[in-house]
Parts: sequence; structure tokens; C-alpha cells
Amino acid sequence: MIVVKDLVRQFKSGDRTIKPVNGVSFELEKGSLASIVGKSGSGKSTLLSLLGALDKPTSGDVVVDGVSLAGLPDSKLTEYRRRDIGFVFQQFNLIPNLRAVDNVMLPMEFAGVRKAARLKRAKELLEQVQLDPEKQSRRINRLSGGEQQRVAIARALANEPKLILADEPTGNLDEQTGEHIIELLSSLSRDHNTTILVVTHDRSLAQKTERCFRLQQGRLTEEVKSGLHR
Amino acid sequence: MSVLARSVGNAFRNKIRTAAVVAVLAVAIGLALAMLVANQAVGAKVQELNASVGTTLTVNPAGGQGFEGGGEPLTAAQAQTVASVTNVTSVVGTKALRLQTATAETSTTQQGGGFGPGGQQASVTTNLTAAIDAGTLGNRNGSATNTGGTGTTQRVRTLPIAATGIGAEVDSAGKALDITSGTGLGDYTTAQAKALVGTTLAQKNNLTAGSTFTIQDKTFTVAGIFDAGTAFGNNAVYVTLPEAQTLAATPDELSTMIVTVNSMENVDSTKTAVQSALGTSKADVTQGQRNLETAVSSLDSVKNISLVAFIAALATAGLIILLIMVMLVRERRREIGVLKAIGARNRTIGLQFVLESLVLVALGSVVGAAIASLASGGIASALISSNTSTTAAPTTQRGGGFGGGGFAGGGFAGGGQGGPFGGASQLLTSVSASASPGVIAAGIAAVFAVAIIGALVPALLTARIRPIEVLRGE
Ligand SMILES: Nc1ncnc2c1ncn2[C@@H]1O[C@H](COP(=O)(O)OP(=O)(O)OP(=O)(O)O)[C@@H](O)[C@H]1O
Ligand SMILES: [Mg+2]
Repeated sequence: MIVVKDLVRQFKSGDRTIKPVNGVSFELEKGSLASIVGKSGSGKSTLLSLLGALDKPTSGDVVVDGVSLAGLPDSKLTEYRRRDIGFVFQQFNLIPNLRAVDNVMLPMEFAGVRKAARLKRAKELLEQVQLDPEKQSRRINRLSGGEQQRVAIARALANEPKLILADEPTGNLDEQTGEHIIELLSSLSRDHNTTILVVTHDRSLAQKTERCFRLQQGRLTEEVKSGLHR
Repeated sequence: MSVLARSVGNAFRNKIRTAAVVAVLAVAIGLALAMLVANQAVGAKVQELNASVGTTLTVNPAGGQGFEGGGEPLTAAQAQTVASVTNVTSVVGTKALRLQTATAETSTTQQGGGFGPGGQQASVTTNLTAAIDAGTLGNRNGSATNTGGTGTTQRVRTLPIAATGIGAEVDSAGKALDITSGTGLGDYTTAQAKALVGTTLAQKNNLTAGSTFTIQDKTFTVAGIFDAGTAFGNNAVYVTLPEAQTLAATPDELSTMIVTVNSMENVDSTKTAVQSALGTSKADVTQGQRNLETAVSSLDSVKNISLVAFIAALATAGLIILLIMVMLVRERRREIGVLKAIGARNRTIGLQFVLESLVLVALGSVVGAAIASLASGGIASALISSNTSTTAAPTTQRGGGFGGGGFAGGGFAGGGQGGPFGGASQLLTSVSASASPGVIAAGIAAVFAVAIIGALVPALLTARIRPIEVLRGE
């Protein structure tokens, strides 16, 4: 259960301040699958980074399972990111000189998982995102954009987080692979009770989520679903 | 993938840069190690000099250091007196003789009484030929000073051979003889028709252990050949003290006494005590160390210079690491943000950077140790020759003294030891001896300690990088 309370994040650019997130409040049930849409530059990535404790809000709070992020020291926030969050970055942010499988193993290494166990799980995850076994031991900078995107998704799933924050996870994928990734994410929310929040420009993806929010001028509004869920 | 594996991988991420960094580090580390080795070598040398010469006093008859003659010869009774002075561990008497080849004798004996001390240096005939050409030395004799030729100086135009009666197996400065073949004389307190012959003299006269020659028509057997390390020192013969006294027909008379003091600290007080026990009118007591004071002090300054250079080179290595790691941290800012965003602790990231710097230092140390082992000998001798050039003048003056009469004994052997500069080859031997694995290991340990300090600063900087860096552009 995630409760977002009156979240504000402002930036100073030159002499004026911009507020891409300006008083955002919403609640997400555990295991729900939700999407955020909005124009480029509307603040979607900024909002996601606040939820994932990558950044600190100017004001407001995020409460995860009853724990307020605003009250946590940095070391606890690190632990929160390591254990509870799976972040899929818009720019992937993989470590370029490591192999695909090593990148997926990294969060597990930080969590203290034994080497054999992390290798096994990393391979399973890469298989789930349909990365050719042959490409699993390639270095990141030898993979295509779409392949990198799938490695980034596998890495986000590594520590079985309770909240997955995915910024444009299908942006670089063909329709079919994109469909597969969406199916993978919804099965996680369905079967593992993982809460999933996806930022997307993809209408069809937004249609498939239970709830859909629109970020506009720093405010979040929920779009009323036309059809039935799923 | 572990932290260590990642660190090693990162160290080789940019191979050209890694090679350049390792090369620069290797120079700094190599210099540091070479300086450490030089420092140890010079330190060992200073200790050796202090130990070998620092504790001996030389007693000559009063006025014996001048050319005035006069003064009473030293006696066995005086040796007894000196031996009973506090802190004196041993007294070795010597009796100097001049050996003249039978043909040269007539032209030189007339000067006999003219040189000091007290004309006691008896001239005796021999069938040996001197190993040193007298021609080149004649001129130097004229300018000979008194410092070197303690009590055994002479002003002959024809170069005689120095023969010294010794009360123990030491040269006339109290330094142990280096016998290269044959044996010593055994009992030095009895008269024996045996002698030790210097290498060049032996060569000149085709002598080997067991050969015979004559002094005053008496046949002597060569017991052994010794090497004093210098041409003058090797143009010499040693016999037992009583034998020399018999040859000179002056029983109980001594030319010099070599007094060994139990420790460095007691040398000065013992010198005064010996002087007062004998009386200033009877004997002059000189301190072997005095001749070497300048030598030791300039070696000490070499030691200090090498220590400063070691520390400076070490600091340079640390600084190189610091700068390189700061650069790497800045360059990988975004990547550090990624690691934090996916849950890496600050210390994991800090450790990764420290380990990476240690990989660079380890490579630099391997190459640096190789450089050091090639360069340390050269650096040590360069340091010593440049640092001692200022003291070269007095040294050569003393050299003149040796040339004049020092070969006969006292000053001469002092010359052999007092040549810490001339003895560059000797120093190089101690350099290689000092380049022991222990010293190198200690040096490398110091390098690693400094590198860790250097790497800690940038490693701590990584803690300040926030995970949000991840969303910033490259
Ligand atoms: N650190 C920052 N300093 C100043 N302005 C920033 C900073 N980070 C983001 N912004 C600004 O905040 C606004 C929102 O950025 P954000 O990345 O959240 O947009 P977005 O909705 O994710 O856009 P896109 O769909 O293109 O990814 C932009 O105008 C951006 O320029
Ligand atoms: Mg964005």
C-alpha cells in the first residue's frame, strides 16, 4: 500500500522555479497495476524518482506500508531502494563494461545473495524477458537498445521488489516484445502481489492497466476507464 | 562478479590510461624504493665506519706526527699502562721498519735520523723489490702533510717497502687483515721467521704462500698474502711484533699503539684518560674517527637526503593516486548514481574505488621494484659522488699524506677505511646487500599505506554523490 501525500518537487532554473510535481496525492493498493501518462517534460520521471527514493521531495511525503520515506535516514533509503523497489530507468542506466548477466546480478550482490543463487536467478530473469542465452554474457555496450531495455527490466525484478517503478519500459521494443513485457508485469502484479507503476506514452499499454493517471501542470488526475478492467 | 572483480575490471576499463597511470606510478614507486635502499645502504655503511674506526685510538710518540723527530719511542711498559685504562678493550703494539733493497740503501741511510719520530723507524735491508715506482712519488713526498703518516712518515726519494711488526692480526690502523691466501702468523707475541706479504709486493717478487725472502740476510717464509685494498697498502710486509723489534735491535720499543675502546660514547673520555696516563710529553693520542668525521657526516647527509627523497617519492605516489581517483570518481559520477539507485551501500562503492586504486598501485609496484633494482646502485653512487664533492679537497690532501709516508702504516690503512667515497664499489656491494626482500617489502607496504590514504579521499567523495545523478544527462 503506497500513500502519496501532497508531493511537491521544484527546481530552480535560472531565476524562475519550475514545479513538475506540484501537490500530487494518490493511493495505490498492494498488487495493483497502474500507469501514468503525460506530455514530455510534464514531470513523470521526476514523480517516479520521488517514489523510488532517488530524490527527495521539496515537500510532502510518500508512505510505503506505513513507513514514511521523509523520516528515513539515507542508509534506510538505500535499503528501501535495494529491497523494496525495482526501478526501470528511461535511459536503462546499465553498467556498460559489465555483461548483461552481471548487471542483473548486481542488486542481488548488494542484497547479499550467494553467487550461485544470483547467477541462476539472473539467467532465469533474462530468459523471462526473452533475451537470447547467447546474449546474456555479452557486455552491455554490445547490445541493442531494446535488448538493453529488457536487461534493465530483468535487473529491476532481481530482488523481488514489492514496488516496480518502470519509466517507459516498452519504449524501445517492437509491438510483440512490448506485449510480452506487459504480460510479464501484469502477471507479477496478479501472481506475486507486486505493485506496479508504469510511465508510458503507449496508449494500448495504458489501456491494459487497472488504473491510469495523467500528470499535467504538476497535478495528477485519474482517468476514468471507459471499458472493463482487463 | 564481486567487488574485487569489478574493481579489477574497472582498473582496465581504459587500457591506455591504465598503462600511463601505471608507468607514472612505477617511476614514483621505483624512486621511493631506490631511495629507501640507498638510505639503508648508507646507514649500514655509516654504522660500519663507526664500528670499525670509531672506537680506535692511535698512540704515537710525542712529536711523532711531525717531521721533527725527537721524542722517546713508545715502550711495552707504556702499552701495559694504556691497557689498564678504563674502557680500553685491547692494545696492539706495532713496530714499523723500512725495508730497503740492498742497492738503494747507501743512498738513503744518510737521511736516517732526519725523519720522525725519533728516528726510530729502523732501516733494514731486503732482497725484495718495491711494488711501487718511486719516480712518481718522489715529488709528492715533498708536499706530504702529517695527517696520514702517523709516526711512520719518511722522506726518502727511493720508495722503500713498509714492514710492520704487529701484536695481533691487524693492520697498522687496527683493522683486521684480509688474508687472501695462506694463513696468518699464528702467535703474534713471539719472534718468528714468517711474514705476511701484500698482494702487489708478492706479485712483483713472485712470492706465494711458502716462498722465502730475506730481511737483514735472515730468511723469512711467506705465511700468507693479504689484500689491504690499495696499492700502497699492498706494498707492505707484516711480521710479528717481537720479530720486528729484534730486526730493529730495539726490543720493547713500539712505533704506535692501537687502542680499542669498548664503545663509541667512551672514545673521547678514554682518549683523554690515555693521554694523561702517558703524559703529553711522551705520547700523542689521536682518534681514528677524527679523520672520518667529515666522511661520516657527509654520508649522514646523504642518508638524510635519501630519506627525504623517499618520503617525497612516496607522497608523489599518493598524490598521483589521489588525483587519478578523483578524476575517475568525477567521470563515473552517473554510474555511481546508478549503483546507489539500485541499492549499493556507500561503503561498497568506496571499497570498490579503493580496491581499484590498489590494483593500479600493485602494478606500479611490480614495475617500480624492477626499476628500483636496476637504478638503486646508480642512484646511491650518484648521490654519494655529488654530495661528497665538497669534501673531496681535504680528502685528496690526505691522499698526499698517504703518498708521502702513509704507506708505511697508520694513515694508510686509515686511508683504506677512510675512503667511503673512493670505496664506491664497496658501497655498491652494501647497496645490493641492502636491497633485501625485507627492505623492498617494507617499502612496498609503505607505498600501499600511502595509496590507501590517497584513495580514501575520492572514495569518501563517492558517498556524497546522490542517486538522482542517474537521471542527469551524461
Ligand atoms: N534536476 C533538474 N533541474 C532542473 N530542472 C529539472 C531537473 N530535472 C528535471 N527537470 C525539469 O523538470 C521537468 C520534468 O522532467 P521529467 O524528466 O520528469 O519529465 P518527463 O515527464 O519524464 O518527460 P519525458 O516524457 O520526456 O521523459 C522538465 O521540464 C525538466 O526539464
Ligand atoms: Mg521521463
